[in-house]
Amino acid sequence: MKVKKFFYSQKVAPYIFVVPFVLSFLIFWIYPLISSITMSFQDIGAVSSEWIGFKNYTKLLKDKVFITAICNSAKYMFFTLVLLIPFPMLFAVLMDSRLVKAKGVWKAVLYMPALTSVVISGTLFRLMFTEYPTGQMNIITQALGLGTFKWLKMGWSGMLALLVVACWRWTGVNMLYFLSGLKSIDSSLYEAAEIDGASSWQKFRYVTLPLLKPTTVYVLTISIYAGLSMFLESYMLWAGNNSPNNIGLTIVGYLYKRGIEKNDMGYGCAVGVVLMVIALAINIVQLIANGTFKNKED
Amino acid sequence: MKKKIVSALMCTALVASMLVGCGSGETNPPADASDAAATDDAAAAEDDAAAAEDSAEADDTEDAEETAEAEVVTNTFGDPNGTHLEMWTFVELHGQHYGKMAADWNAAHPDNTIEITCTTYPYADMHTKLLTALQSGTGAPDICDVEVGQFPNVVEGLDTWLVPLNDYAADYLDTMVPARMETYQGSDGNYYGAPYHVGATVMYYNVAAMAEAMGISEDEVTAKIDAVVTWEDYEALGKEYIDAIGQDGKYFTSVDTAGTDWLWLAMAEYGDDWTGGFEGPANVQLESVQKMLEMQQSWLDSGIAEVSPDGHVDLEAGFQNIMDHNIVSFPKAMWYMSRFTNYMPEEKGNWYIAKCPVFEEGQKMSVGIGGTGTVVTQQSAAKELAAEFVCWAKMSEEGEQNIWDLLGFDVCNTACWSMDSFAHNDENIYNSYFRNYPYDVLNEIGLNNIGKISVVAISPTINEYVCNTTLNEVLEDKMNVADALQELQDAVDLEQ
Amino acid sequence: MTAVENKASKQGKAKKTIGTILGTGFFAILCAIIIFPVFAGLLASFRPGTELIRRGLSINLDFSTMNLNNYTYLFSGNADSQKYFMWYKNSLIITIVSVVLTLFICYFIAYGLSMYNFKGKNLLFFLVIATMMVPFEILMLPLYKEVIALKLIDTYTGVIIIGLCNASTIFFFRQFLSGLPKELLDAARIDGATEYGIATKIILPLAKPAFASMGILQAMGTWNAILWPLLVLKGANKFTLPIGLNTLLTPYGNNYDVLIAGSMFGILPIFIIFLIFQKYIIEGMTAGAVKG
Repeated sequence: MKVKKFFYSQKVAPYIFVVPFVLSFLIFWIYPLISSITMSFQDIGAVSSEWIGFKNYTKLLKDKVFITAICNSAKYMFFTLVLLIPFPMLFAVLMDSRLVKAKGVWKAVLYMPALTSVVISGTLFRLMFTEYPTGQMNIITQALGLGTFKWLKMGWSGMLALLVVACWRWTGVNMLYFLSGLKSIDSSLYEAAEIDGASSWQKFRYVTLPLLKPTTVYVLTISIYAGLSMFLESYMLWAGNNSPNNIGLTIVGYLYKRGIEKNDMGYGCAVGVVLMVIALAINIVQLIANGTFKNKED
Repeated sequence: MKKKIVSALMCTALVASMLVGCGSGETNPPADASDAAATDDAAAAEDDAAAAEDSAEADDTEDAEETAEAEVVTNTFGDPNGTHLEMWTFVELHGQHYGKMAADWNAAHPDNTIEITCTTYPYADMHTKLLTALQSGTGAPDICDVEVGQFPNVVEGLDTWLVPLNDYAADYLDTMVPARMETYQGSDGNYYGAPYHVGATVMYYNVAAMAEAMGISEDEVTAKIDAVVTWEDYEALGKEYIDAIGQDGKYFTSVDTAGTDWLWLAMAEYGDDWTGGFEGPANVQLESVQKMLEMQQSWLDSGIAEVSPDGHVDLEAGFQNIMDHNIVSFPKAMWYMSRFTNYMPEEKGNWYIAKCPVFEEGQKMSVGIGGTGTVVTQQSAAKELAAEFVCWAKMSEEGEQNIWDLLGFDVCNTACWSMDSFAHNDENIYNSYFRNYPYDVLNEIGLNNIGKISVVAISPTINEYVCNTTLNEVLEDKMNVADALQELQDAVDLEQ
Repeated sequence: MTAVENKASKQGKAKKTIGTILGTGFFAILCAIIIFPVFAGLLASFRPGTELIRRGLSINLDFSTMNLNNYTYLFSGNADSQKYFMWYKNSLIITIVSVVLTLFICYFIAYGLSMYNFKGKNLLFFLVIATMMVPFEILMLPLYKEVIALKLIDTYTGVIIIGLCNASTIFFFRQFLSGLPKELLDAARIDGATEYGIATKIILPLAKPAFASMGILQAMGTWNAILWPLLVLKGANKFTLPIGLNTLLTPYGNNYDVLIAGSMFGILPIFIIFLIFQKYIIEGMTAGAVKG
């Protein structure tokens, strides 16, 4: 009876709730991560490995291709944040209003791209962005009298193609997050605001936006990492990990290239550790600034 | 709520399991999937249900597939009581080749039979999986296909990872193309991989389109093509074609910004090798490479050539370009023949295969490109048998016959090249697709005129920089070739 | 923004109708753009693969080149078709099991993290965030060795287990739950409910929208996952659908016929899951529940 009381007490219950995470963290995360960090200080050979200190990291600093990869990933992350947070949020608010009919249909369609495997959507977009005149992008530009473009050979248009794929795939999903976030808002708050004579904009600004913050923070956090770690889209769009002048090379693409294609796991792990440090730094700063670590009662 | 979610999931499961035609609603992961008999039954049951469901369609879908039956699902071939071998590949047809060879092997060796399970993995991931298994010392198959570009990573483990094939290949070495055997050598000089094909580079010409444009008969075009010996001749023929057809988006050939085939050919002609082999160092500032690139620049200026859409001829836009007759000739390895039969059936009868032009008469006129070596791993429990079987399936006449018929490759055992029943069999789809017999061209080129470029640890670095940067600079941005090669050399030097 | 402004304006029906037309019209146009590649893919799935190469991704409704051959091949019961449906079945099993387990495990973890104040809470939350920031590629090799040591290699358990405590799912639940009023808990405690009773009987029903959206997302992620299942699973008998479809893309040429038809048909199950779950997203919190 005492034991039961102990486990049912308000003090102990939270620890019970988080036990699975602690276990999974210890077994499936901390050990692999430590081995990876160890590997990043080694020259991993086929048969034996050698400790080489910070050599992998000093080499990274001088590696121009790696710098290109970081720039590409950062640019991609920035644009996805700009495009994939405000717009899906507005779409969700609009979708949640009484102004839209046949909601189920639109939601289903918007979500469809995320269901499609990257393998197939990458192929479809490669065909759409082909430099050949039969590609849809070239059909459009030809109709506008601009002639054809080599979309996947130039920096700006390569990034454009990546962003089009990103918006296409993730608009619906991010809207979904915001929609479920909107549902956690107490509808009586809107009623109260209406009684106080608030306009639609004021209701959005002073009720929706602040109460949607947990969801926004979530979307921001995962988008930062997703942006920095994008790889598959680029791999499919250029039918491999090589793009002209590395315009489609990302950090994880480079990790893949060095760690797996060239089988230099030590160097690959160093790339991965750098990515982790960058992503974690940005996100921790952002989360602290947003007050996510604060307790509600404080 | 819990109930609702669970019931919703159950609904999904039900609908889905109906879709897969498996009404029994299996919820446990089939732990006994390796048990061939059990899966065969399950597969047969599935088959029945599926057949019942869409019997209307099943009726008009044909014939030969019926005979394939359930066992193909497991991709296990041969004698169930024989020694079991596991094989990984990334091309399903390769697995089928081994399946056929296993049956033949068992017929010839009734006292030492084998059973082989061939699993097809996605290309990039198979190599990842193999390396992960080799590095962690467990989980590798007995036999594995390794793509030549990935070979340096795998052969790095030498005889701790792989079984040297020297003794098992000894019977065939006399007639095997030496350049191909050397491609799969380790730094210790042992042979670790058995090749599928030579991958000899040849020139493909669209005779029908050329004849139409130039207003002469197809035989006359063929005669003109046969008369091409040097790149100057080739260029002259190109000019003649372009003059006849008028420009308007039509070119004689296309040059690649995302492939090194042209450069490999140039190096082979001069006997160069930019990797420097196992000893290195890699040197890319070669006269051969420079000459080829400068020649290509001049072609782009004079309108003989365009830059390949998508960067090379072996991707969607490249095929489109060929079928639209925007280009009428290009050099590519012999294995490209299967692209014609698979993707361009409408071009049947138009194309002619010829040897490649050279810079100076008397040079080599071909180079082996691409390829897949089959390795035997040290983790295998039946190393000797596996190695013996692999060499037999890849190098014997029986093996080569099946490789040619099933896979359409230019086989490495030269003893087959001049055999009439082998090279001139009109039932072979490649023989009937092209205007001439592919093996006639191969014989004409001759074993000694097929060059070799090493694939070693530095190769991916060179390849990557050339395809991503150098070729774009030279062919798209018209950069000075010597400067571009200097930049390439600097990039390569950082890695060696 | 006009649409939002219109949202609650009570100034006559006419304005509302215009708003409805604008709002609905906006989504109609957006969806028309979004659906285009899927539509093009669907059309391509009714054409022979050679046609895709011949004419590119054509959206002409030219019925002369269209037929059901790719699908009849897929359903013909031949070797390729059997393999396809075996992969399909495997994917379904893995997806359903892992979605159900992950949702509940992550919900309770997030519940602990968001509803209580306890020592180490912020550290734990930091660790949840940290686990999201490591590229899987560098954890792959050690994880593989570990899974071998645990004798989970070549089992579905090995595939599923490492994703059960999905950090982003925990994080989402945590964010969702932290938006709920804590008065609910105190009220329930006064009524004599246990801590676990509150979590399962009071708060869980309120988290329906979060369950639904995470269910959809988890299903999508598992359905399309490729790298880890591929490392763990060995025989073609155990492959999942994406692994199988990827085998159709080879350096020796792509089998577009089966690839596109197979991928299009592969959308179906998660689409059904989506349809089932999405109606729970709409069921929001009622004012009554909060005051409860």
